This record gives sequence, structure tokens and C-alpha cells, in this order.
Amino acid sequence: MEKRAVFSHKFLPYLLLAPQLAITIVFFYLPASQALRQSFFIEDAFGTTSNFVGLENYRYVFADPSYYKAIVTTAIFAAAVTICSLSFALLLAVMADREIKGATAYRTLLVWPYAVAPAIAGVLFIFLFQPSLGMLARGLTALGIDWNPLLDGKQALLLVIVAATWKQISYNFLFFLAGLQAIPKSLIEAAAIDGARPWRRFFTIIFPLLSPTTFFLVAVNIVYVFFDTFGIIDAVTGGGPAQATQTLVYKVYNDGRLGGDLGGSAAQSVILMLIVVALTSIQFRFVDRRVNY
Amino acid sequence: MADVQLAEVKKIYPGGFTAIHGVSFVVPDGGFCVLVGPSGCGKSTLLRMIAGLETITSGDIRIGERVVNQLEPTERDIAMVFQNYALYPHMSVYDNMAYGLRNLKTPKSEIESRVAEAAQILELDTALLSRKPRQLSGGQRQRVAMGRAIVRKPKVFLFDEPLSNLDAKLRVQMRIEIRRLQRRLQTTTIYVTHDQVEAMTLADMLVVLNAGRTEQIGAPLELYERPATLFVAGFLGSPPMNFLKGTLESPATVRLDDGTAIACEGAYAAVPRGARVVAGVRPERAIVRPLGEGLAKGLAKGLAMKVDLIEELGVGRLVHGQLAGAPMTVAIGPDQQLPASETIGISIPADAVHLFDAESRKRL
Amino acid sequence: MVENQRFGNLPAHLVLITGVVIVAFPVYLAIVGSTHSAETIANGQLPLWPGDQLLENYRRALFVGTTRTTRALVATMLFNSLVMALAIAIGKIAISLLSAFAIVYFRFPFRNAAFWVIFLTLMVPVEVRIYPTYAIAANLNLLDTYTGLAVPLIASATATLLFRQFFMTVPDELVEAAQIDAAGPLRFFRDILLPLSRTNIAALFVILFIYGWNQYLWPLLITTRDDMQTIVIGIKKIVATHDALTEWQLAMATAVLAMLPPVAVVIFMQKLFVKGLIETEK
Repeated sequence: MEKRAVFSHKFLPYLLLAPQLAITIVFFYLPASQALRQSFFIEDAFGTTSNFVGLENYRYVFADPSYYKAIVTTAIFAAAVTICSLSFALLLAVMADREIKGATAYRTLLVWPYAVAPAIAGVLFIFLFQPSLGMLARGLTALGIDWNPLLDGKQALLLVIVAATWKQISYNFLFFLAGLQAIPKSLIEAAAIDGARPWRRFFTIIFPLLSPTTFFLVAVNIVYVFFDTFGIIDAVTGGGPAQATQTLVYKVYNDGRLGGDLGGSAAQSVILMLIVVALTSIQFRFVDRRVNY
Repeated sequence: MADVQLAEVKKIYPGGFTAIHGVSFVVPDGGFCVLVGPSGCGKSTLLRMIAGLETITSGDIRIGERVVNQLEPTERDIAMVFQNYALYPHMSVYDNMAYGLRNLKTPKSEIESRVAEAAQILELDTALLSRKPRQLSGGQRQRVAMGRAIVRKPKVFLFDEPLSNLDAKLRVQMRIEIRRLQRRLQTTTIYVTHDQVEAMTLADMLVVLNAGRTEQIGAPLELYERPATLFVAGFLGSPPMNFLKGTLESPATVRLDDGTAIACEGAYAAVPRGARVVAGVRPERAIVRPLGEGLAKGLAKGLAMKVDLIEELGVGRLVHGQLAGAPMTVAIGPDQQLPASETIGISIPADAVHLFDAESRKRL
Repeated sequence: MVENQRFGNLPAHLVLITGVVIVAFPVYLAIVGSTHSAETIANGQLPLWPGDQLLENYRRALFVGTTRTTRALVATMLFNSLVMALAIAIGKIAISLLSAFAIVYFRFPFRNAAFWVIFLTLMVPVEVRIYPTYAIAANLNLLDTYTGLAVPLIASATATLLFRQFFMTVPDELVEAAQIDAAGPLRFFRDILLPLSRTNIAALFVILFIYGWNQYLWPLLITTRDDMQTIVIGIKKIVATHDALTEWQLAMATAVLAMLPPVAVVIFMQKLFVKGLIETEK
């Protein structure tokens, strides 16, 4: 799709593009290329010398058991959050899509957590699940569960998953609702006339027609878990206990800052970039509306 | 006031596609010229080249004394009415009309008086001036679009299929208004349409375009009565002209492919005997007669036409069927009797036959 | 549609109400927590209804601070967050409008290249290139400045793509009419394109304001001085997870204050918010 009518001007378009291109180059391409460069070098402890080491940093990363642990943690985290928040959101969206009283009020009451910052969501869940004073933590203890996410890695991961899921429900809900409302009513009516009961209609008509939305949301949720949950993890567990909640992104941050291992951190960044590129391209292939070139 | 001259104007797109193959014509000062042709014939491209919205590959376009090839649209002293009106949706009707004048730094009082004058000419209620385009009906939007053109007092009005978004009734009404307006303002006008009725009724001068070339230029009736090519013959007129294939047997006889002969009349002496021709007959010129009756009355003999459908129009009827192995439509008046038989007799007056060369598709 | 429903819409209401309760509960409890005294909370005896310490807690959080730290006041941090969120939202919209205008309405050498340079930034979130970006910002003396907080987050493809998409839907004839009406490119941009983009700009502003307000990792790195911290960073620092002596009533008051602006934006500008969210993603 191209415009037929355009202006002709020699310099103006470059002038208009200049601010965005300047910022993009300085704060995107320069750092990204530096990350790439750094991943092939090792700096000494004082940062005075740096030696080219080829793929040494990458070899080191892949030889590090904690990197595999981070991969597994990230995978569990992503799968759990995606499945839980998508199913819960879909359930709510299907209910809110019906012609019921107060549909708009329900929508308002369900969408606002989108605006809560991940780090703050984390703090809210600490307050609920802090072993000694959290209201829900006390409930769990009363049920005889030995609840202490500060010490128990599995419980810590569970807590982070719950917080991340909570925060993502509203986003998924909105997109499912939009997807449901885009399904022509006549199709559902035709199915009803064809004798399909509500459950059958959902699984044979609505859910298949919703699949582009679902697919798009799966990709978005995975990207969300990869990057946006950083604030939740940092606020709730700081990656601990014993790296039980350390995701790939959190490890990049930790290794670069606390460990001072810039080469290793850079190599991890490069690997992450490749993962994001892959995820994003999948997302575009299936929901291709942005690029019509 | 100015005339518009096109000399060998060509448009070749960067991809190599030639949209306009060298078109020349002159629209006299105050004339109403209609560019007509099927979609894709290049008529809109040509208009947009005159407006300065498309570049000219070669040739010259003159408005008055100036060659305008390199001028921006604003500098050409033209105004244009678009198919979808292109009214600025966020501006009031008044601002829509005033915008161009403001950009040209016209004094405020002058703008006010010109907009008021345009509104009055177009019979636009002054209460409408503060409305937004979306609050107007289709006909009102059309008027505002014309108002925007009028206030500029341009040398040339350009219309790009301005009536195609209106319903049939409004289209007829606006067609008449456009013609009245142009008579009153005496501004040179170039108007693009694919609708041959619009073209016939509006034009002083008709330019028929086909595949980027001019087929024929002239007054509407002249084109209707003496189409220069098969294309023009088939394009102008509704229902369209009937075409019968055959060979020229003598300067006054055409032998149709099924063996029947029809008489023709014209300067065909120079055409070689046996030349392949197409005989064109307008539906309203064919006459229904009982079979075989024609000769006695000095008319061409009644030819057999097999009728398969009769359309009742109120003002008359259209009889569709087959004649000499080709599809044929005959238009008859409301009072005329039609034999109840499946086959009727048709006679074709010799002076109603247009002959075209089957090869070159040009009039003989 | 007529449907033979035994319970009518009752199940739907039950599901939705449960959903709302689950979604709202953590925030409700934070609000309750912010109205009780430190002792009530520390004893683990927090009731389900608000207490009487509301004014005191919020006053202390906003203007006094926690007892044992010299941290910046919540009022200062709220101000920093506001500046950052506004700068990011306005900055992104401004540069994106200009670049989308250039890409859609002009033909020039390297036009496609420019588009792809911008487009590819979608693929590289700030988290991935955090340290090199930090190093560049440090070299440019942007640490502990509002410029440093906002500018590196301003460039992104999303807004540019949204405006590009929208400009594509503006009929060609409007540009042509404007050209005939003696409007050059900048005048067309100001008089016609900008007013037509109003709704899109507003919708995008809502989304970007929330995005900017909720930034975490970047402000965490780029600010070292307490008085430059944003509220989202500040809350985490108030809550010392392993410290039973966290002043939870102040932490919760701070959390509520930190949530308030973006949540209010979502609730009061819901239409624009939904439009912005769905259009920036699709």
C-alpha cells in the first residue's frame, strides 16, 4: 500500500526523520552492536584491558549449569503464566461478551490492573504472602502448609508466577473480548440454527475463530514473561532464593552488575536478542497487520 | 479566463506502463469539455496531469498563455472537485471553502465576501456554513466541494467523477446544476466521467478516451451521429449500437455472414469489393415490420429477428433477440404494436447503417 | 438470541464477580494496609476493613518519609515519575509523528532503509541491551538527569508504525485538495494531518503514559541519587523484603499513591486506553 499523492522536497523528509533516527541509533543500534562486540571480549577486573576471545564467552555461558537452570526457570515461568492467565482471561471474556447487565462495569473492573507497574504488583503480593504477617500466608500456614517463599525456591517461583499472572489477566481479557466481539453474530446464530448447543458452539465455532487472537496473545505473554516481569522478580525475590527465580533476563542483569562479568552478560544478551527476534517474527507471521511493505 | 491546450501529452509510469499515449486537444475559453471512457482508459490520469497532481512525461499542457508542465497545482490557477469530495473532515464548511484563500493570504473581508457569494450561488443555507462535513447530506457535500472550487475564482474547473457517489435521482439534479453553474460563471471546465449520459448532456466538447488514446473529439451529437470508430459507436448511446458482421458487396450493399443483404448509403465507392466490414445500427433506427413487407413501401426488406426478451421501460420497449446470427436490440415507442409471433420482421433504413472497417475498426 | 437458560445469566455473573474479586483483592488489601498502624500489621492481625490511620500514614509517606532512612519523599518521587512519564509519552508521540509523516508522505532515497531501521527496534527491548545503553548514557553525562530517564526510552517503532498505519488510511484526495489549496507539506501536517490524528494521539498518549510511569529497570540503573528516583523504584526500596521492620503501612500508602495516576488514567480514559492498547499491538 503506497500513497499516490506525495510531496516532493529534497531535505525536509530527512529533517523530519532526524530526531527518531538519531535517538534510535544512539540508544538502540550503538548499544546492541556494543553488546555484540563485548560478547567476544573479556575485560579484566578493573576494565582497563580487554582481550578478544572469540566464542569463549558463549562457551562459558553454555557450560554454566546456572544458565540451564535459568532456561528451565524461564520456561516454567512462561508456560505457567501464559496458560493460567490466558485461560482465566478467556473464561472472563466469554462471560463478559454475553448480553448481560453491567457488562461495561465488569470490563472497567477487570482492566485496570494493566496500569499497575510490575514492581508494585510484586510488592502487593509480598504483602499478601509475607510469611509472618501476610494475610494469605497465614491462611496457608493455618492449613498446615509450611509456607516460606523466602527460603523455599519452589514456593518463591509460585509466588512470582501468581503475581505475574494476576498482572497479565486484564491485558489478555481485553484482547479476548475484542476478538470475541469481532466474531460476526450471524455465524453463531447459524450454528445455533444448525442445532449446536452453547458448549459445542464454543469449541467448534468461537474458539477456532479466536485462534489468531490466542496465538498472538501466546507470543505476547511469552515476551511479557521474558522482559516485563523483571520488576516483579526484583521486588519479590531478587532472583532468589538460591537462583530459584532467576530468569534469563534477570541473569543478564545480575551477572553484569553484581558479578561484573560484562562479557558473559553481553553474550547472554546476544542470545536473548536472537530469542526475541524469533518470537517477534513468529508473532508477525501470524498477526501480520503492521508491515504491509 | 483561459483556454486549455494539450499537445502530444504522454504519461509513462516508472514501471514502463504507458497510461497516456500522446493526447492533443484544445478546450476553448469558457468551454465545457468532458473526458469520457471506460475505467482504466486514462481519463482521470489526464485530468490529474492538468491539475498538476501527476507529472507529465512528455508534451505540453498550456493554461492560457502559460505552459504549466512544471508548475505546482496551486500555481496553475485551477480548482478541482474530487469524486469523494475530499472535504477536510475536521473543518467547518466555511473553513473548508476559506482554507485555500487563507493559504494565499487573501484579506479576511475578501474571503468572507467570496464564501458568501459562493454559498448564495450554490443555494447553500448560511446556517450550514458552521457545520462539519459529516453533518451534511451527500448533495450538500457536493455543493460545498463545488463552493471550495468557486471561491478560488480559478481559470479552470476540474471535475473528477463528481457525481458518482450520489444516488440516481440526485445525480440527475446535480448534473443540471453543474451545467447551469458553468453557463453562469463561463469558466473553462474539464470534467471526467465514465457515464456516457452525463458526458452527452454536459459537454460542449467530448473527448472519448480508450486505453490511453483519444478515439474521437467533437460535439456530443456529432460523435453520436458519426462515430469515428467502432469503440465510440459502441460506447455512446444506451442501449448500445448493434453490430452485424459481413462483407461489402457493392457500394450500396452489405452481405451479412448468414447470407442476408442489407442496403447502405455513403461514399463507399473507393472501398474494395469484398472488404470485411461491421455494420452498426442504433436500436432506435431499426423499424419493426411484418416479415417481407419492406420492399413494397420502398424500404429495405424485413429481416427475420428471433425475439427472446422484451423489456418494458414505460417510455418504450426494448426488444432483444437474434438477427442474422448476431445479438440485436431494437427500441420501439410505447404505442407501437408488436406482432405476437416469436419471429418478427425488422427493416433497416440504408441511412441508418454505419459502416466500419473490420480490420482497422475505423469508420468507412 | 433466545436461549433456553435454566439459570439465566447467573453463572456469568458469578464468574465475573469472582474474577473482579480476585483481581481487586491484592489492591484492596494494600489500601486497607495503608490505613492501619505499623503494629497492627506487624502482628499479622490486619483486618479486612480500613483503619483510622489513613491521613497520618499518607502524610508521613508523602512529606516525612520512613523513620530509619534518608530516602527521598514520596512527593519528590511522584514528581520524578510524572516528569518521566510525560516526557516519554510526549517525546515518543512527537518524534513518531514526524518520522511517520516523512515515511508516508515523501519519496526519497533510503526511505525503505529508514523504515526498517526504525522497525527493527521492535525486536530489541531495553532489558537486552541494558549495560551498553547505560554506558552510553553515562558517557553523555545523562546519569541522574530527567533527560537520561526519558530520552533513551523515547525511540521505539510502535508509535511510528501506528501513525504510519493511520496516515495510510487518510484519503489521497485530502492531500491533493490541500496541494490545490496552496498548502505545502508542513502546513498540510499542521492544519490537516494533526487535527485528524487527534484521537490516535490521545489513545497513544494514554498507553505511553502508563508505559513511562511503570518503567523499572532503566530508572533503577540510571538514577543513583535518591532525589532523582521514580516512585516505582522507591517503593521497592521501602520494602526491604527480608526485614521484618519494614514500615508496611507506609509501604502500602506509597504503593497506593504509585498506582493511582496510571490506574486513574485507565479508568477515566477507558475508551482511549482500549483503542490505544489494541491498535499499538495489532
